[in-house]
Amino acid sequence: MHSVKAGTIKMTHTRVSSFLVALLGAALVGCSSMGVEPWQRDVLAKEEMQLITDPVEASIDDHIYFSKEASSGGRGFGGGGCGCN
Amino acid sequence: MESFKSKSISAALATATCTLLGTSVAAPVLAQEEPAWVFNTALLYYGEADGRIQDGSVKGLVQRRFVDDRVLSIGFAVDALTGATPNGAIPFDGVQTFTAPSGESTYKTAPGDMPKDDSFQDVRASLTVNWSQPLGRLFTINAGLSGSSEFDYTHYGANLGFTRDLNKRNTTLSLGIAASRDAISPVGGVPIPFSSMLDRSKQREDGPRPPNRTGDQTKDVYDVVFGVTQVVNRNLLVQLDYSLSASSGYLNDPYKILSLVDAVTGDPLPRTPVPGKKGPVHQYRYENRPDSHVKQSFYGQAKLFMGGKVLDASYRFMTDDWGIHSHTVDTHFRVPFTNGNYLEPHFRYYTQTAADFYQISLVDGTQAFTFASADYRLGDFDAFTVGLKYGWKSRFGKEMSLRLEYYKQNGNAPAEQVIGNQAGRVLYPDLDAIIAQFSYQFEL
Amino acid sequence: MQSLLNSVTSLSSETAAGSARPDRKREIRKESGHYRGTFTAMGSPCELLVDTDDEDLAYRLLDIVAAEAWRVEDKFSRYLPDNIVAKINSAVGKSVTVDDETANLIDFAVMLYELSDKHFDISSGVLRKVWRFDGTDNVPLVSDVAAIMSTVGWHKVCWQSPEIVLAPGMQIDFGGIGKEYAVDKAAALLVEECSCGCLVNFGGDLVVVGESRSTTGWQVGIEQPDSRRAKAQKLIRLQQGALATSGDTRRYVINAGKRYSHILDALSGWPVENAPRSITVAASTCTQAGMLATLAMLRGANAESFLKEQGVQFWCLRYRQRSW
Repeated sequence: MHSVKAGTIKMTHTRVSSFLVALLGAALVGCSSMGVEPWQRDVLAKEEMQLITDPVEASIDDHIYFSKEASSGGRGFGGGGCGCN
Repeated sequence: MESFKSKSISAALATATCTLLGTSVAAPVLAQEEPAWVFNTALLYYGEADGRIQDGSVKGLVQRRFVDDRVLSIGFAVDALTGATPNGAIPFDGVQTFTAPSGESTYKTAPGDMPKDDSFQDVRASLTVNWSQPLGRLFTINAGLSGSSEFDYTHYGANLGFTRDLNKRNTTLSLGIAASRDAISPVGGVPIPFSSMLDRSKQREDGPRPPNRTGDQTKDVYDVVFGVTQVVNRNLLVQLDYSLSASSGYLNDPYKILSLVDAVTGDPLPRTPVPGKKGPVHQYRYENRPDSHVKQSFYGQAKLFMGGKVLDASYRFMTDDWGIHSHTVDTHFRVPFTNGNYLEPHFRYYTQTAADFYQISLVDGTQAFTFASADYRLGDFDAFTVGLKYGWKSRFGKEMSLRLEYYKQNGNAPAEQVIGNQAGRVLYPDLDAIIAQFSYQFEL
Repeated sequence: MQSLLNSVTSLSSETAAGSARPDRKREIRKESGHYRGTFTAMGSPCELLVDTDDEDLAYRLLDIVAAEAWRVEDKFSRYLPDNIVAKINSAVGKSVTVDDETANLIDFAVMLYELSDKHFDISSGVLRKVWRFDGTDNVPLVSDVAAIMSTVGWHKVCWQSPEIVLAPGMQIDFGGIGKEYAVDKAAALLVEECSCGCLVNFGGDLVVVGESRSTTGWQVGIEQPDSRRAKAQKLIRLQQGALATSGDTRRYVINAGKRYSHILDALSGWPVENAPRSITVAASTCTQAGMLATLAMLRGANAESFLKEQGVQFWCLRYRQRSW
């Protein structure tokens, strides 16, 4: 993995962060016209279409990657709470 | 009754009903059973190569749904861990000796090998309880408690969250906060940062603490997550999350050290144990990390239904004030078969940059560090996971699945940190691991 | 939205227009997020849930639904002495002219008779004279059943819309169709009145009308017919469409170790063998759901495979099971 000078990284972080916050904001504003009628939710109701299909498996993965990497969570809480090695 | 007639009964009935009621064809029914009890259990084996960590665990989640959408969830997990883990010292052509965390024994590393502490054995138990219910007509509220305990670490946490539906439930906003307090009481005591690893010595239960140790420590973590879930169309669901996590307190790994090396050769500086005692024959210092850590994550996930198959793809960008940033791409693709079984390949790619204070070794005298850690998990590495999951339903309708995955980490030591003889050695403990999981789910 | 009782804002004890019967009162109460109106009709507790904050609207809709339920009951009940059914059943071989609604219902019954290969027959009501299901363990004599079967059988009816002629001794009974039909008719009236979300529920046969505001749909509980877990319910989230349940677990006879369910096979005159304890079917309309449940019941041991073949959603409970 190539190394980048510290100063450049910080600037990239700020730019990326602002872009992503703007995306989130745009998502909120642009959302009001998208979607389906209540009777069109048949596919969305399927078990395999839930955002977390298997909560136990999701927590297993979160825990493994939290123990072995420096990042955690993202869609929920840190999943922390262990003296993992 | 002849079967050739059977197939058209439903259609004939639908037509006759239209005639009877004098209406046109009604919209299709949308009914979903919500079982009162859902049990979700899994057996997990996680094993790393080279005699490193192995973990066997049992995990379960019980959900009880009450009338009016109130749900109680109780989750538990028991893990048994064993195996060796890299201790942060740098490999060297000679034998290295280390004092075990307990201070009561020593272990050796063969020449050229990545130094690993193999005295590590632990059993961990955790419990989470969560309650969720509607609040008025528009909101739902959820609250939970979590706790875990292992030999040298205890965690207590609480969380609270709200969701709000908009646009005929096509948009869902969610906000969650969590707080936790962890207590760290490592085997042998908390080492004073940058103090030296000492010789082995028998510890009396109530004896004086070794000179390089202090009392137990705590760590506090506060999290905030804000999310938007959006139904795009009948087949596509998208979620975006922003989360902020702030940790403070004791954030060091009490078992991790750095090698003190010669400024020219890069070899560990020798040391002589006190006469009559066993101990390290080179100099090692305990690591030190800042006492605060702020992380931000941006996460996006999409679930796309493709005529029976489901594609689940997510991306996460994480950046923190330790100089680490990471990208995670995670994809699952579920392919169902006609009998209801399914196959689900999985691919995950992860890459992170090293922490500002990640140091593969310390050079005596010429550098003054406030923080330094050789923990490979703060290093610069790429990782990928490939896996396959097969799911099926038993005769009695119980769902089961088997998942087998391979996880690999490939890391690099920052080029500017490599000194002298270190150049020819493997400086980053690449990881190879197997994940095997059997799941069993049933409802009542 | 089956939430706890929030507050009772008013009790309405008015009797329905044109009827002085004391059992014909309507009650309405406000619950969290909706109104619940209740009344009794066709021997069952009936209710209307309205997703609105407008109490006047809820009253108006309850009046409409209750009136329609009682209208259907009064017109097609076999217990009343002066309605069209009574006229047909007392005509003793003479032809009776029926109105459009009755003609439609008879046509529908004929279609069911054919679809069920004659196992469902609205002329089989007389079998209740020998099959009492009154809590005793009495099973009629084979000769008694054979005797009454001489007055059972649609092929003995002369039906040329709008004229119907029953052979002497025969009776027709709309009991197997009436409740679900009433649910759908009441729902149709509500659709004309307003577009708010409603749930029409006549004794467990129910249908969703309109669009609820919260759009998570209605949470419906199917009673677990198990005395050991009296409060247990299977929860079904219904966003759209109807549910109907066939089968009443308390009505059966055990004689000489054999269980006789109360679902009678119109062709044989005897109860269906190995009928499930209870079947609940989900379909677009309550009538369809109810008829599918009935047709499935008549298939006894093959109830589940029949419904699977038809591709409908159903929940089937059999005897000697601890759970659905």
